[in-house]
Amino acid sequence: MRFMMITKEFEQPNSDTMPDAKGAATMMKYLESLEKAGVLLAFDGLRSAGMGARVSFSAAGQPLVTDGPFSETKEVVGGYWMIQVSSKEEAIAWAKRCPAFPNFAIEIRQVVEFADFPADVQEAAAIYPKLKAQCQSRSRT
Amino acid sequence: MTSQKVDKHMRFMMLMIPKGYEKATAGSMPDAKVVAEMMKYNKSLQQAGVLLALDGLHPPAMGARIRFSGGKPKVTDGPFSEAKEVIGGYWIIQVRSKEEAIEWACRSPLSEDCVIEIRQVQEMADFPPDVQQAAAGFAELQAGRPA
Repeated sequence: MRFMMITKEFEQPNSDTMPDAKGAATMMKYLESLEKAGVLLAFDGLRSAGMGARVSFSAAGQPLVTDGPFSETKEVVGGYWMIQVSSKEEAIAWAKRCPAFPNFAIEIRQVVEFADFPADVQEAAAIYPKLKAQCQSRSRT
Repeated sequence: MTSQKVDKHMRFMMLMIPKGYEKATAGSMPDAKVVAEMMKYNKSLQQAGVLLALDGLHPPAMGARIRFSGGKPKVTDGPFSEAKEVIGGYWIIQVRSKEEAIEWACRSPLSEDCVIEIRQVQEMADFPPDVQQAAAGFAELQAGRPA
C-alpha cells in the first residue's frame, strides 16, 4: 500500500522558509533510513505559500487566481514523502520516527490505486495506469 | 525579466483541495463522469510533456495524523476534526514559470467545490550553500529512485 506523508506547518512566516543546515541534515538522516528500509518512493519540499497561488472556480468553472499566502488556513503544506508499506500501522510507525520539528504535524494519507476503483470508475479512468507508468519513466531531474 | 531563466524548468506541485473532503467517509469514491473529465485533463498534461507525477488520496477517515509534543509523537486516527481543508490529490508538473503552472491549473475541469493550491517544489540549487552541504546525499537519494 502506498501512503503519502504530508507535513503540515503551523503559522508559517510569509518569507520563504528554507530549512537550516542542521534541520536539513536531520531530515536527510530520516529519509535515508526510509530508503535503506526499501520503503521510500518519493519526496519533495515545497517553497513557501507566499510564493504560491490558489485557483478557485465559479459554478460555471471560471477560474479565479489568488496569490499566496492564504488566509483560509493556519496549516501550510511543507512537503511530503511517499512510502510503500504493508499497512497503515506500518506507515504510522514510520511517521513516529520522524524528527520532531517544532510547529509541525504529519498527515498520513492512503494513496488511491487503480484497483481501488469500482468497475465504472475503472472504465472512466482506463488511461490512468498508462499515465502512471509514463510518469515513472520520466524520472525526476 | 530574468532572461537567463527562460529555458530553465521549474517544478510545481498542484494540490487539489475538494471542499468537504475532510468529512468524506472511508471508501468514498469519485463519480465516474467526473473521473472521465479529469482523465482528459491528465492526458493533456501528459501530451504537453509537463506531467511528472499525479495521485489521488483516500479520505482522511482512512488516514492518521502525528503531532509532536515534547519531542514525543502523538497519533490521532482520521478524520481530523480540526482540519478545515484537506488534499484530495495532486499533480507535479515541470514548466517554465509560475504563470505557466497557474495556466495549467486554470484549465482543470473543476468548479466551485474545489480549489487548487500551486506551490513551487524545492530544488537543491535553491538551498543556501551550508544547507546544500548538509543535504549532500539529497540528490543521490532522489536520483536513486526506482523507475
